[in-house]
Formats: sequence, C-alpha cells, structure tokens
Amino acid sequence: MAHSDKPKQPKILILATLAGGYAGADATGQVHLDYPANTYILPVMSPVMFPPEFFLRAFERGIDAIIIMYSGTDSPYKVEADGTASLVNRTYTLMKTRGIDIRRLRLAAICTVCVKPFLKEVNQMADLLKGIGFVKDEITAPAAAQAKGA
Amino acid sequence: MPENTPNPESPAPVEPEEIRVGVYTCHCGGNISHVVQCERVAKMVGKLANVAVSRTDPSFCSDAGQAIIEQDIKELGINRVVIGACAPSLHEQTFRGAVTRAGLNPYLYHHVGLREQDSWVHASDEEGATEKAMRLMAAGVAKARLLDPLDPIRLGAEKQALVIGGGVAGLRAALDIARQGIRVTLVEKSPFLGGRMAQLESIFPTDEKPRQLLHDLIQAVTAQVGITIFTQAEVTGVSGYVGNFSIQVTQHARGVSPEMAEALTAACTQETPDPFNYSLTRRKVIYQPYPGCYPAAPAVDWQHYDGQPIQVNGKSIVLQDDALVHELIAGAIVLATGFDPYEPRQGEYGYGELSQVITLPQLIRHMALVKNGETLTWNGHPVRSAAIIHCVGSRELDGVHEPQADGQVNNYCSRVCCTASLHTALEMRQRFPRLNIYELYQDIRAYGRGHEEIYRHTQNAAVRFVRYHGDDGPKVIAAPKGDPYPVLVQVKDYLTYGEEIEIPVDLVVLAVGMMPRQVDDLVNMLKISRGADRFLLEAHPKLRPVEMAVRGIILAGTAQGPMNIQESLAAASAAAAKAASLLSLGKVELPPFVARVDPAKCNGNGACVTACLEEGAIALQTFVENGVEVQRAVVTPANCTGCGACVGACPNRAIDVQAWTLAQYDAMVDAIAMDWPELVEVEK
Amino acid sequence: MSLDNLHVDALVVGGGIAGMQSALDLGDQGFQVALVECEPSIGGKMITLSKVFPTLDCCSCITTPKMSAVAHHPNIKLFTYCDVQSVQEADGGYRVNLVQKPRYVDASKCTGCRECEYACPITVPSPFDRGLGAYRTIRVPFSTAVPQVAVLDMDYCILCGKCEKVCAAKAVDFNQQPEPFEIQASTLVVASGFELTPLGAKKEYGGGKLRNVIDPLMMERFLAPTGPYGRVLRPGDGKEPTSIAYVQCAGSRDTTLGIEYCSRVCCMYAIKQAMLISGALPLAEITIYYMDIRTFGKGYEQFYQNAQAMGVEFIRGKVASIREDDDQNPVVKVELTEEGRTIERTHDLVVLSLGMVPVPGSNTALNLPLGSDKFIAIPAPNASPCATAHPGIFVTGAAMGPMDIVDSIVTASSAAAAASAYIREHKKEAVYA
Repeated sequence: MAHSDKPKQPKILILATLAGGYAGADATGQVHLDYPANTYILPVMSPVMFPPEFFLRAFERGIDAIIIMYSGTDSPYKVEADGTASLVNRTYTLMKTRGIDIRRLRLAAICTVCVKPFLKEVNQMADLLKGIGFVKDEITAPAAAQAKGA
Repeated sequence: MPENTPNPESPAPVEPEEIRVGVYTCHCGGNISHVVQCERVAKMVGKLANVAVSRTDPSFCSDAGQAIIEQDIKELGINRVVIGACAPSLHEQTFRGAVTRAGLNPYLYHHVGLREQDSWVHASDEEGATEKAMRLMAAGVAKARLLDPLDPIRLGAEKQALVIGGGVAGLRAALDIARQGIRVTLVEKSPFLGGRMAQLESIFPTDEKPRQLLHDLIQAVTAQVGITIFTQAEVTGVSGYVGNFSIQVTQHARGVSPEMAEALTAACTQETPDPFNYSLTRRKVIYQPYPGCYPAAPAVDWQHYDGQPIQVNGKSIVLQDDALVHELIAGAIVLATGFDPYEPRQGEYGYGELSQVITLPQLIRHMALVKNGETLTWNGHPVRSAAIIHCVGSRELDGVHEPQADGQVNNYCSRVCCTASLHTALEMRQRFPRLNIYELYQDIRAYGRGHEEIYRHTQNAAVRFVRYHGDDGPKVIAAPKGDPYPVLVQVKDYLTYGEEIEIPVDLVVLAVGMMPRQVDDLVNMLKISRGADRFLLEAHPKLRPVEMAVRGIILAGTAQGPMNIQESLAAASAAAAKAASLLSLGKVELPPFVARVDPAKCNGNGACVTACLEEGAIALQTFVENGVEVQRAVVTPANCTGCGACVGACPNRAIDVQAWTLAQYDAMVDAIAMDWPELVEVEK
Repeated sequence: MSLDNLHVDALVVGGGIAGMQSALDLGDQGFQVALVECEPSIGGKMITLSKVFPTLDCCSCITTPKMSAVAHHPNIKLFTYCDVQSVQEADGGYRVNLVQKPRYVDASKCTGCRECEYACPITVPSPFDRGLGAYRTIRVPFSTAVPQVAVLDMDYCILCGKCEKVCAAKAVDFNQQPEPFEIQASTLVVASGFELTPLGAKKEYGGGKLRNVIDPLMMERFLAPTGPYGRVLRPGDGKEPTSIAYVQCAGSRDTTLGIEYCSRVCCMYAIKQAMLISGALPLAEITIYYMDIRTFGKGYEQFYQNAQAMGVEFIRGKVASIREDDDQNPVVKVELTEEGRTIERTHDLVVLSLGMVPVPGSNTALNLPLGSDKFIAIPAPNASPCATAHPGIFVTGAAMGPMDIVDSIVTASSAAAAASAYIREHKKEAVYA
C-alpha cells in the first residue's frame, strides 16, 4: 500500500453537540472550506455525559487531542454550560497527574453556523500538535511526570 | 404514568444473537467519491469483525439504494446497519425508514457523515480523507456492534387541552381544538373574556367592530361542545409532562349573585381607575367592563375592593371571595397569555410629567368616549393639533435608550403600531376634520395586506409625516407661557433634509409597543424559556414555530411576540393544529434517547439525582431486594432530555443514555485511535 | 402510483413549504391527504434558497426533512408534475380533475440513478438555478428533489435515444401522454405560492436588459452551497463583485406597476443576502437603497441592527433609474431623500429586490374570488384568516398575499386546523383514528 510509507498523523477527536458543534461542522462542509483530515468528529447529545476518565482513557489509547464543541449557554440542556466547564476542569486535574499537556483538551462553544470559529479551533489544535507531538510519547516517556502525579 | 424503564426485576436476558453488520459507503453521486476512495473504504471496513457485507452505491438514499439495504436485511440477515453518506441531518430519517420497512428495529442503524465532515472539507487531501473515512466507518461499526433495539417512548395522551388566556388567541385556540373532538378547559385571569381586543374600536384593515367579532367568537366558543370556561381563574400548579399534565386552577368568586348583582352594583360606592379605559375614567369595584361583555354578570374587582360593607335594602353586605380549586388533567397546554401595552417611563417624551402626553391605547379609549359630532377635547381644551410619535418602547437602541428595570431595552419592532397609528390618524381626520395630525416615524411598516392602502389614504388625508432617526428622537417639552399651544415637539425631520423643526400641539400620542404579559409564575411552573425580548420562545421559528421546547406546551398569539389580530388568530389556529396532532391519536411518541439505569450496578448513591437539572426526570425509589430495602435511581422518560448529566456523574457506570452509551463511545475511540499499522493490516 | 379515482379528506394544491406543512399537519391528525404539485419535485421556492432569516439556518436543512416527511408519510399521497384542470362541488365536497403531465420517464421504474442525465447530450438552462446554471434535457430536477425521479423536457429533446439506451430500469418512455385523473376531496387547501415580480417590469431599472442587474432568487443561487458556482459572481463576465447594491421596493409599493402593496419579505432577504455576501466576500461593499426598512418579525429588528453593525450601508433614497457603463457596471441614479439631491453611483452588481405576485394561472381552475392585490381573497381576515369565499376551500402561504417562511408555516398549520374542523363537521365519516 502506497500510504503505509506516509508518516503517522496525530489524531484529533472532536466531540460535537448535535445542537451546536456537529451542525457547525456540517455548515463548514457546506461551504467547502478545507481543514486537516486528521480530525474525527463524533456527535454527542451533550458532553456532560462523559466522566473525566473517558478522556484519560482516550488519551491512553492514542487520541492526541480532544476538542469539545458544545453549545454553551445556547444549549437545549440546562446543565450543559456549567456542567461541561466543571467536567473539563476536573479532567485537567487528572491530566496533570498523568503528565498529559492540558492543552490537548479544549472546550469551545460552537453554534450551528459557526464556520469560522470551527476552523479556528481545528487549525489551532492541529498546529499545537505539530509542536507537542503524540500523546503516547508524553504519557509513557517521562517517568518523572508519572512520579509527579503520584 | 409511563412504566419506568429500569426496574430491579429486569426482564430475562435475551439470547445473544449473532451480530451481522451491513456497511454502506455512499458515493453521494460523486460528492463523496470524488475525494474519498469509497471502494477502498468499503473493502477495509468489510474485513472488520462482524461485518457481513460492505457495499458502495452511487446514492443509497435513492429508492434503488434503499432497496439494496432492505434486501440485505431480509436476505443476508443483516441486523446492524452502518451508512456512510451525507450529514445525518439530511438522511438519517430516510434510512431509519428503510431499515424499518425491512423489518429491523430502526435504532439498529448508525449514520456516519462522510460528505460535510470529510469529502467536502478535505478535497485537497484525498489520502487523508480516505483514511479518515476508514476510521469513521470503523468507529461506526464499533458502535453498531453495541446498538440495542429501542422503541420510542409511548405515552398515553389525554384528549384534553388546557388553554391559558381568554383573549382572542385563547378563544380561537380553544374553539379550534374542541372542534377536533378534544375537550378544552379555558382559564382566564380576569372576570371577562375578550382580552385586549375588546378595548379596540375598529380593526384595520377591514374597519370591523372588534367587540362584535369577539361576541361572535365567544358565542361560537360557548356553543361548542367540550369547552369549559373558568374566569377569574389562574393556574396555580402544574406537574407531569406531555400527554399527561396535572393542573391546579384556583378560581376566585364572582362575588355577587345574579339576583343581588343589580342592587349591589347600584349600592356600591367604592371606585377605582378603570383599566378598560387605561385609567382615563373610574369605575366601581363591582363592574362590567363594557356593555355586552361575557359573562354578562358583574364581578368584584378583588384587587381593589376595600372590604367595607355595602348597604343594600338596609342590609350591610361584605363581599366574600370564596376561591375554588379545580384539579384538571390535560395532554397539552396552550399559552395565550397575551401582551400589555408598553408603559412609558416617567418623563419619557414627557409622559407622566405633561398631562397632554398619552399613549395610543389611551387615545383610542378617549376617542371612544367622545360622542359622534362632538369635537375632540383634552383636559377640557379642544385638540387642534396632535403629534403621534412612533416606536415608543420599540426598536430601542443599546446605549441610546434608557434600559428598563431588567437592564434590557426593547430592541424589537412591535409590528402593529405603525398601521394602528395610521388607522387612528385616519379616523381622527374623518371625525375631526379640522385637527392637524403629525406622524413622527422612523420607517412606516405598513406591511400587511391592505396596510399600504391605509398608509396611502393617510398621506392623502393631509396627515403630515415627519421622519426622525432612532438615535436622535423627538423631544417633548412644555411650551413657554403665552404660547398658543401647550406643548412643543422638537425633532430633526429627515424628510426635509434634517431640518430642526418645532411642532406646537395640544396632544402628544405615544404609539407604544407591546410587552409580554407578566407570566413569571407560569414560566417557573412549566420550566419554559423566554427569548431576549422576554416574549415566550418557540422551539424553532420554522421547524416548530408555535411549539415550545418543552413538549406539549404550545404558543398562541402575542405571548410569543407582537402580532395583530389576524396574525394572532392564525397563530392560535396553528396552535390548535399542533394540539390536535399531539392528542387526537390518544398517544404521544417521544424519541428513546433517554437515560436508562442498570439496577444491577446502581447502588442508590443519588449522584445522578444531584446532577440532573430537569424537573422530575430522575429520582431515588425504594425497592425490596432479597428482603432488604434498597434505593435505586429511576428515570421518568417523559421528563428526561437525554443530556446525560447523570451518566457522567455516576461513579458505577450504572446509567447510560440509550443509543449514546459510554461503552459505544469507548469503542468508537478505540476504532479511531487504531494504530496505523493496524489499519493498514486490516486494509490488506 | 395508481391514477384511479381517489377519495381523500383533503387535497392540498402546491408542494412548497406552506402546502407541505398543511399536508403534514392534516396527515399527523390521521386524515388522508393528497398533495398536488405542478413541478416535478416538491420543495417550492424555499428549497432553492441559501440560508433563511433570521436564524441563518441552512435552508435545505430545514426544507429537506419536511420534503422527506411528506414523501414518507403514511397518510399523504404525493402527486408531482400534475396540474389541476377543474374543480367542481360534488357530494358535499369537491371533485378535482387533474392531469399527470408526461415525464417521459416511468416514475414507478426510475431509480434516480441519473445515468440518463449523464448520457444526455443536450444542455438547457436550469430554472432551478434561475437560468444561471444548466442541466440536461433529461434529469433529476435537483440533487435533493422529491421524488428522485427523472423528467425529460420534450421542448429541447432531440430524440437521440441515448438516455433510453443507458437506463437499466427501462424507465424512459418517449410515448407518454398526459393522463387525466380525478380526486374527490372533502376540503381543499390552496398553497399555490407566489412568483417574483418580473425582472423587467420596471423598465427604468434595466432588469433583464443589463446583464449585471439580477433578481434576488439568482443571488440565492449564487449564495447557496448547492448553487451552480458555489460563489458570488457577476453573470455578465464572471468577475467577483466588490460593490453590490440592493434596490428595495423594485416591484412593490409602486402604483406605476399596479403593485401597490408591500411584499413584506424584501427588506429581510436583502439584509440577509447582504450579510451572507459579506461572509463570502469580506471586502465587498454592500449598499441597500430603501425608503422604509420593514423588519417587523420576531428577531428581525435585531437582524437589521446586526447588519448595520457589520457595515452594510443603508441609504434612504429612491432609485430613479439604472444604466450600464462601458465595463458593464450598473450605474444607479438615486435621489437621496434625506439630503435632497440626486447622485449617480457605480456598482459591480445590482440586485433588484423584487416583490411577490401570484403565480400566473394558479387560480384558473379554482376560480376563487381575488382581492384588489390579485391574491386570493379572505372575506373575514379577522375571524377566519385562512378561509376563502368558498366554504371548504382554505388558503395558506403566499397564495394569500406576500409572506415569509415563518408566517407561511404558521398560516399553513392554521389552514390545516380550519380544514380539519371542516372535515369533521361536514363529513362525519371522516377518517379519525
């Protein structure tokens, strides 16, 4: 296969609300604006459903970055705006204990027509990963980071 | 009460069937296949575990394409379907239909967006787009393996509706719902039906008499089988959900019996400003707002009655408000709570400071009190010249207009005031031909059928138009002593190129906008939303324009936003259509995406209950397990929105949102994170 | 589809957004509905739009689910490419004579694969794209058409037979004839929609003559993601415009055209398009020449204020005439009513904000009384806002006068309520689950 020579790409997982980010991603598609292909968008009802452990597990499996594109205060769910912010903060704490750069997890409010903000978030994260590389190197490599967390 | 899905006595585990996934990668007529190498994707996905067939087609959404999927389900025993195509918003329903037609549970199908989120955004990177498609489809298969068959939540629906508000919209909604064979309870806060419309004297553009139209409508409502009317009544409690709301209505007493009404009214001496005439006149606290009102019997104004005895035939009678409480059930609730005219601030265009400044609704009442042939007077002086100022309390600008108590300005257009002003000006010119009228406006919004004609007639009737800019509005000041007119209106007129002009007038009329009626209690009880304009907020202006986000709560008329009578009627009938669609079949179906508790894992710690912000969606209940009382979380699906706050909060992973489970997300993450050699290996 | 005589509770004339909504509301209540559309696909004008005000939702995302719901509704029978020939009162209801126009494609066999379209050698301007794009003489009308069935335009066909050869389903049939059929309905809902004022109606504006003076639906196709170019350009020479002007009331509120009424939607669509253009062409200057801005609907005034904040230029003025300079640039002569002088300004592209008129011929078979505006008359607008002069015939959407999508949808549900009450009261045996 020709592509087996291609360098491995870091992977960005995007958890996007149906009422917000997922529709925003579709809107970006409708205007045919390009962004990096190493982005994997999964629809969610609301990100509040995830426990912090979900994100840690994803990083451990080799997801290099996660962007939560939620609907913020525009959400149809009362709990989403504050609940997601709290979830992300709790996850940051856990990430630090595992030596994972917390910039790998981003929370962004994206609406159904937020084409430009969507592109900005995706491109920024792709650029960041070019600098900080794969998460697996980060988690497994420095024992110091492990010790720091322990 | 619907059956609670999670029950400690769970059904016997079903025999695990062999998972056979059918995967369909759509070319979308080239939209996808011009970028994504669909055949490679299909080949790679075809090698994943449980995948029984993997196909491509120019367009799976076509009848022919759907037929392929249906055939596979029937002939190859496919029991999970993954389709990679356009955005799910476009064709998820289409494919769900196809899957259902083939006899498979519609929720055993998962849709992957390969167009909007892949081919259309990675046109310059075919290889990357193809790899992305592979991973997304692999994730789809991973989710599909874990899909469970689901049924929509079916709730019995009471064929009864509650309509709150007895103005023109509430009356129309009640009538149209009852005509569909659904019983209606109409609750009106005041003692009389008809609402704001009764205070008008003539309706544009037809010049019909509003109280006659109301009379006809009320007659139709009272003649209609199946409508119960409570006046002087308010909703004081609501519980339940769509299909089955329990409602408490508190109804005040009319206060005077029919046989005593005439004598008591005659004997009553206590007076209060008459809200029907916007306090231009006073009336007794036992009153009828106008002749011909419905119900005809007088009622006591409990808010203002001072409790003093009234002397009738030598007897001393103290009026008693013996309130009644009614308990009702309803499958749907229509909110027709209406509007109030904007009440200008003290000093706004001189309002409240200069006695010559009134509102348009006040002018309409004042003119109704002037007998035909008489001249128009104000404060006992003939009115020779009047200025009508448009957009008072409407189209306000942040930073220019003073905010109201809640910090907001009314930046919306109130829709009716332009034509109402023109229509009133025209009537004034006809009845009082020597009266000079000035219309001070920003834009004339005579948008409706027949409205532009009124505008043209007004122009031809020598009404003078002055155009001002919203950020530099007119000023109303008292004229210096000795001036022939008591009030001066100063304004920059942009019809005369921004010239500063001063208009001497006897009367200034503020064409006030509409404000939503104060309904805080209903908003809290029903857990409904208001928009930034404070009017009740529809779920979506086009998809669900008269329904609220809370299912079973429907909007009629000006509770939703400014409207004229014709528009209120149309909106009310539309509300009736929605109520009928919801209730006429006697059942309501909701999507099954709600939380589900696994009682085997739940230890009753209640973290889910704390996390949940939806009223009545999840609660701890006591069950007896092996002779021991235990607490378990129980979901009420009708109240659950499926946000999953409880899922994230549960330390035992005992809750999931159906069709959106954590295990499915973990599996999808694994598929996406699959190492490159692994993916290549699969593809070979 | 069987063309045998059919009995339904309601027949809805017109498959645009209003007709679809009425049909869905009636069908949802368990009534049997026939929806008749004269075009080969339902969707009406709305499906051709880009985004819709004031939410800027993608229009197709709102329309296609409704189209699909209509197509799959168990209580709705869809008749596309059919004309209503005549309507008679009969048996307490209406007998409607229709004709199925020949598609020259057997709808029961066609799979919508479009192979015929790819094989067809003849290209004709596509009315779906307002003539800006082209399609083949035989084609599925547009990508999201419902039904996905090809139609052949015999006016342009050279009978080369290529489509017939490639059609695996053997659906092409050059010998199809118009097929009359009849539907019995208890009640009718008329949702026959609107047309734009003709582009050339006001001679002074040069519409139809000047190549860079276009109508607003053309601009919708430029802005639509499904449009022929996927970007905004000048039809005259394909150049990207940097200065775009809107002339408001170009075909409304104009006694010289005999169109005295306000068309209600033009202010909002012009503002919406201006906002979309400034998204697509951030450097473009956009000017709206107007007399009154009528943003009266819910959320509309805020939308107008947003457009002003975005830098869209609003100039109060009466456009007297438009001419063309040597570079095909439209030159707008405008009387600035706030300053009392007349100026000429050159733009790259001018959009005439045309108004709404009834669809010519849409009332021939129905013969309903009309208002002075030529739209279907509503005798008692403040009592029964959707009832026509004929009992049992209701009207909705732009057939009852200009209105926007939100109002069309509300009146559609309102007409459905009126129709369903009528069915129940006048036809006791109506289907009612």
